[in-house]
Formats: sequence, C-alpha cells, structure tokens
Amino acid sequence: MSKRVLVVDDSVFMRDIIKDIFAAGGFSVVGEAGNGVEAVEKYKELKPDLVTMDLVMPYRNGIDATREILRGDAKALVVMCSALGQETMVMEAIEAGAVDFIVKPPRAEDVLAVVKKVLGES
Amino acid sequence: MRHVIFFLDRDRYALPLDAVREVVNAPESYSRVPHAKDAVKGVMTLRGRVVPVVDLGRLLALGLQPPGKGKVVLLELVRRELGLLVTEVEGIESIEKVGPQGRASRMVRGLARVGPLTVTVLDVEGLDAAVTASFSSEPERNR
Amino acid sequence: MAAQWDTSRYLSLFVSEATEHLDALGKELVRLEGGVTPEAIDSLFRHAHSVKGMAGSMGYDPTTALAHSVEDLFERVRSAPARFDRAVADLVLQAVDALGGHVKAANERKPFPDNTALIAQLKELTQSLRPGTTPLPSAPPANAPLLETAGGPESELPPRWLVTLRVATHSAQPGVRGFLAYKRLASLGNLFRCTPSLDEVKAGRLPGGTFAVELESTEPEAAVAKTVSQVADVELVSLTRVASAPPPPAPEETKGTEPEPRVVGQEPPRTVRVRTELLDEFLDLAGELMLATAGVREVGRSLQEELRGRLNETTDRLHGLVRGLHDKVMKARMTPVSVITDRLPRAARDIARRRGREIELILSGSEVELDRAIVDELSDPVLHLLRNAIDHGVEPPEERRMRGKPPRGTVKLSVKRASDRVLLEVEDDGRGMDVERLKALAVERGLLTAEAARDLPEREALMLSTAPGLSTAASVTDISGRGVGMDAVKKAVEAVGGTLEITSRRGLGTTFRLSLPLTVAMVNLLLVGLGDDVYGLPIAKVAGVVETTRASLAHSRDVPVLQFGASVVPARELSAVLEVPGRPHDVAAVSPFVVVDTDDGRVALAVDALLGQEEVVLKALTRPLDQVPGLAGVTVLGNGRPVFILDVARLERPNRLPAVGEA
Repeated sequence: MSKRVLVVDDSVFMRDIIKDIFAAGGFSVVGEAGNGVEAVEKYKELKPDLVTMDLVMPYRNGIDATREILRGDAKALVVMCSALGQETMVMEAIEAGAVDFIVKPPRAEDVLAVVKKVLGES
Repeated sequence: MRHVIFFLDRDRYALPLDAVREVVNAPESYSRVPHAKDAVKGVMTLRGRVVPVVDLGRLLALGLQPPGKGKVVLLELVRRELGLLVTEVEGIESIEKVGPQGRASRMVRGLARVGPLTVTVLDVEGLDAAVTASFSSEPERNR
Repeated sequence: MAAQWDTSRYLSLFVSEATEHLDALGKELVRLEGGVTPEAIDSLFRHAHSVKGMAGSMGYDPTTALAHSVEDLFERVRSAPARFDRAVADLVLQAVDALGGHVKAANERKPFPDNTALIAQLKELTQSLRPGTTPLPSAPPANAPLLETAGGPESELPPRWLVTLRVATHSAQPGVRGFLAYKRLASLGNLFRCTPSLDEVKAGRLPGGTFAVELESTEPEAAVAKTVSQVADVELVSLTRVASAPPPPAPEETKGTEPEPRVVGQEPPRTVRVRTELLDEFLDLAGELMLATAGVREVGRSLQEELRGRLNETTDRLHGLVRGLHDKVMKARMTPVSVITDRLPRAARDIARRRGREIELILSGSEVELDRAIVDELSDPVLHLLRNAIDHGVEPPEERRMRGKPPRGTVKLSVKRASDRVLLEVEDDGRGMDVERLKALAVERGLLTAEAARDLPEREALMLSTAPGLSTAASVTDISGRGVGMDAVKKAVEAVGGTLEITSRRGLGTTFRLSLPLTVAMVNLLLVGLGDDVYGLPIAKVAGVVETTRASLAHSRDVPVLQFGASVVPARELSAVLEVPGRPHDVAAVSPFVVVDTDDGRVALAVDALLGQEEVVLKALTRPLDQVPGLAGVTVLGNGRPVFILDVARLERPNRLPAVGEA
C-alpha cells in the first residue's frame, strides 16, 4: 500500500507542485491544509504516514503546528518545507521535532529522496 | 531551475518559480491608481492585502489587446507583492539554459527552449524596476 | 533596575500570568515522574523563561535572578536529561514555591523574600550537571533516578562512539543538514565534543563537509549507523568506539559540550498569543462597527426630518461608543519594545562570536510601548541593524587597539518616547560609514552621476546605503543575510509609518535613528466618487462642500474660481489633478465641489459624487504604490474595495521626490 501524505502549505500553487511530485513518486496524498490550525486538525483526522509542512503560514506557523502534531502523536513524521534564508527557522523546527526538511522550490528527486529516507524505504 | 510558464496572447513566457507566490483569477474590477501609466491595471485586494496589478502585455509594449479575464501571477518580492496580469498559466517547467536572444529590455533575460517550444524568460528585477517606473509620475526613463 | 514607567497597570496581568506559569511548572515537574522527555524539559524551560521575562519587564530584580537560575538549570538538564532526578526536582519545586512567594509579595506590594541561599544551591546544582562530571554528592545513588536513562544506571557509563559524518556538497543547506544529523544522534543518548563546534556546523562551516561528535549511547552500533542513514544527504564516514571515561572538564571542552543555544526569540506563552490574536480581531470588529454605524447614518438620510433627527441622535451616541471601544482596543494592543529587544543580547553574542568581535550591548528604554503590529514589523529590521553594527560597524579587537579604542566595542540600543512618536536608535562606536565609498559605488552602479554624487549632502549620501543592491560590505556573509539589506530595513520602517535617518562619523561610529508612530493611524475620511472610482479625503483637510454648476463659476485670470464664504478659491477637476478619467459632465448640472486646504492654499475640487464619511485604518503604501505622488495611504472598505487616501496637502506637487539613488 502506498504511503499516505498530508501536504501543508498556504499557497495552493505550492501544494499542487508538491502533490504532483508525490503522485509521480507513488505516494498517495490523502489531504492538504493551508494553515497551521488546519494542519493539526487534518493530522488528527487522517493520521497520515508523513506530513510536509510549510514554515511560514497564517494562523499558526509550521513550527507551532509541528509541535502541536507531535504533542498529539510523538511518532509523527513531519518534514519541513523551507526556502533559502530560513535556516534558523528550519533549525527551530528540527528542535521542535521535525524529522527532515526540503528546500523550495522543491525538486522531485530531492523530495522523494528525503521522504524515502525518513520512511526508511531506502 | 523551475519556471512558471504562462501565455500572453499566444506566446509563452516564463518566470522563475521561486519568485512566484501564487496564481489567482483576475478580479472583476480594480481600483484605479492616480497618475499611473497605461500598463497599470490598478490595485486589487487579496485576503485583506492591497496588491498592485500590471498588464504584463502592456508593460512589455507588445501591442496586445488586454486579456479578457486572465490570471494574475503574484510575484513575491521583499515584504511586498506585485500582480502581473497574463492571459493564462500553462504550468511549470525546468529551464536551465537561457540564450541571450530577445533581450530587448532589462525585463527580458532571454529565450529558452522547453521541448519543441520557445519561451521568453523574464527578469524579475527588471520587471520590478519597470513596474515601479510605471507607477511614478516621472517621465519614462530609458530602459 | 527600577522600572521607570508605571508598572501598576501591568501588575494584575503579571500576577495572573506568572501564577499560571508557576502552577504549570509545578504540575509538569510532578508529572515527570512518569518519564522525562526533551519536550517536557523544553516546556519547563519555557515556563521559567517566561516568568523571568515578565519579572524583568516589571523591574523585579530578585524575582528575575531566581527565575534565571531555574532557567539555567533546565537549560543544562536539556543536554543531560539522565541527570534529572528527584534531587533536582525537589530543588526546583522549592524554587517554584519561592517564586510564588515573590508573586504574592509583588501583588501585596511587600518586599521580596531573600533567596540568596536557594539561588546558590541552584547554581551549584547546575554546575554539577555539566556533562562529564559525576553526579552530585548530594544526590547519592540511593536516590532513585526519576527516569531510566538509555544508558542504564548512572554508575555504569554507556559506551562512547566517535561518529564522523559527511554532508553532501550539493546539499542546499549543509548547516541545517548537519544540525539535523546532530539532533538525530542526540535522540540516541548524550552528545559530547562536536568538532567543529555546533555553532560552526549550524553555520555550515564544515571542513571537507565533515564533522564529528562523540556519542554516549547504549544503542547497538547498527542502530547508530541506521539513524545516520535516515538523514538524507548525510553519510557516515566512520563509527569508532572510544574510551568511555569522560575527559576531565577542560575550558576548551565547554565549547563542544555546551547545551545548544536555545532558539532566539522564545515564543511568548500560549495564552498571551491567543489574546493578541483576539486583539487583532477586536480591532477589525471595532473597525467594522464603525462602518456599520456609518451605514445606519446613511439609511437615516432617506427618513423624514423628525425620524432622522432621532436616529441621528442615537447614531451619534453609537459612534461615540464605538470610537471609545476602538480607543480601548488600541490601548490594549500596546506592547513593550522588550518583546523584540529581549532576544538581542543573545543574538549579539552569537554574531560577535562568529565574527570575532567583542561587544557590549547596552539596552535602554525597552519598556516603551508601541502598537503590537508595529513591534512585530520591527523585529527583523532591528535585528538587522544590530547585525550591521557588529558585522560592519565594530572593528575586530586588534584593529580597535591600534586605533586607540577599547578592544570591546559598544552597541547601544535606546528607545525613547518623544511626544506622539517613539525614537529607536542603534548606535555603535565602530569605524563609521565611508561616505566617499558609498558615493563611488553608487556612481559605479549607475545610480548617480559623478556630478550629482559630488554635490550630494552627507546626510543623503548616507541614505545611499539603503538603495537596493548597495551595501558597504565588501562580501556578503551569512550573518548580514543575503539580499535583505538596508533597503528592506528602510521599507519596513516606512511601511509602519516611520522614518529612518543615519548619522555617521568616520572612525567614531554610526547611528541609525528610527522615528515611529505609536499606533496604526486612524483617519476620518470624506469619500468621494469619480467615475466608478472612490477616493478618500481626510476630513481634517476639508474646509467645506459647495454644490453648484460649473457654468456658474467665476473666472480670475482664466482660472475658474468658486465663491467660498467671503473669499474665492481656484476650482479644479479632481480627475484632472489625479490624471484619471472622470464622467463627462454637463456644465449646467449641479456638482459637488470639495474645498480643501493644501500647502499652497485652498482649492475647490470638483467630484462626481459625495459618498459619505468613514473612519478607517490607514495602511502605508508599499512599493511601487509609494512612488505615486499625492497619496497618503490606502484602506480597504467593508465591502473589500481598496480606496486610496489622498495626501491633500501635497495634491498638486509630486510629494515624493525620487529617492536619492533612483534619480
């Protein structure tokens, strides 16, 4: 069974790109969220195998959302999506429990490599 | 580098993906900006933010009819956004090599091939400078 | 430090929030008997940190000192969770109780209890928890540890591994990758001696892409290798068993085993955040209430005289109430600048260390308050100014000695209230800015002609450093932040309605002066229609409205003039002034003429329609809209429509000369 992914980003555009990458890589995107609050709700509802999480979002940023998700499920696998120049925030997210990160604009091979590592598939 | 490919009338253009925040449907109407040049469509609101929108075809002086409805490509610049009205967005493609041809102005980086097609790759900083000029009351400078 | 401002109005808030944090601390400490997790320790740390911050802003030094020792202890425990035993918990609980006593004393305005002995005990315990040292004598093995460590009983040290890692060269953010690998290893046990130091790793300075850490863990070799293999772009170079006995603590060792610096800018406690978001909503709602009130008044216009009078009376009262509500909300939004300055000492130390500078950062006036929206916007610019001061301003110690300056540079960040503005200054005693070099660079980049550069006054020449793409830095370092330079600082300051000024003296230092408004501005507008468009005229500048026909205007030297009171004022078409198309008009039809006060005297502006009054929140214009002459700002009406607010005083002249460097 293909792994189930939740894609979190406030830009529909960016979500579409990431969804396409996952679809092509044989993953199934089971849900998406446009802000941190929604991300936490969707996580509880869907219990995905993996979450990709944007750093900067309205309502609740990716770091807080990651913390909240991990509070509810310590085994949650959250991969941050960051842009160049956001190094400090990514490190904060890692401190908060994110397992890895991908750099925007996302390249399919990088995303899939990171995700497979995280899921222990390679 | 990944680029967003879009149409102005029937021609393909490209902008680097990392400069694009999102693409939205063009609004029904804009609020007019005083003193602005023809290329300026006006301002629109997007989730409470006031975003200036420029008709990209006019800005590039292509002599096109403004798109009937069109899409607004939102560029994300430092702490601000800029909307470019285009005809339609096609998708995302990887563009590595940009040839120097077609550099008619600072707004154009050059031409690139995507498969069998030729696209004009635009320069974000050049566009920004041209847009800024089209909002100011200064006479147009040589670009 | 005695607080210079009236803290009494914060006292109840301090008491309730500090109590909340102390309660949570106590509860969580007890809950730790169920198991110690890094998250739990982080949470304890945050509570202590919050109490410290609040006590600091209230000027309660003894409370701050006590909370600080607790915070230090937690910070140490974070890197050695295995040492968190009952003895630690007992002492912390004692400190929590003592802090509770402080809060009570503050509330009753009594002197604080003396906790010197307790603080000394906390410090001693913190010292004893240094990684590599043996457990406290005061915590004998008989004291059952609160948690089972991965390493088993304390008496037997788990095996130590020297783990050498390589980060792939193509990795987009090698520093973060390295940090991620470090954190993953940390989940297996205790880490010692990171070479190069963790700070270097985080900054991506990895010789040959490699770094090494010592890991103390009971996990089997294969598990360590597996953990590394799960980090993309990181490769395990070698994994060797090293002597278990920890080396004696040496000064050098501190660097490698130091607990990771906590994240700069600790988030405020959750309850505060919820409340401030609520404040945003309050402000929006208060704004909408004002619009709704205006709507009711509008409806009243179609009523009969007698009813209208009664309705107006009620709407006036309603408007007054809503205005009062709005004022209260604005007041509640006031936030001390300390929200952004609190993290600066830490940041300054980090930057100075990375750049090999010695710095003393002097903060003053952090208790001064601004609207929270402005404080939020200033966070990055202020940090950037500090970076600039350390990175480009203050010279390395040797150079300072040569110039006869003390080796340690001083950066002063002061905040002052000045009538209805707040002045924020960042001043360094460094090398100062090189005006001639700035000018030369500007000429080289084609921003200025050589002649213009020569005639440019120094004040304006210094502002060249805020032109996009110009920086005095010869190279862009990771600290200065790529691409986000002084132009971004200037934009951010202007976006909140502030101004930026620079003064600098060669060899003596540079001062950046930010003048900021206290609150986000409210303006009362007269909305006028022009064709399909709506514009706002600030009521304060409107002298009156006359309804007449264009045909009835008199002329004076070919200029149409309008009789207004005892005088005549020149009449202009607003559409012509703004260079926008207006409706074709019939000279015999009655049109409204709005008489406004400009810097050049009164002018009557012909418009198509009067659409009523509204009180709105003025938003500053960002580029490119700030280039448009004659605009004071923009606002979004209740129906979502953006409306420009005209800068009536400077309607007829371009109000913004092109900034230097753009001409």
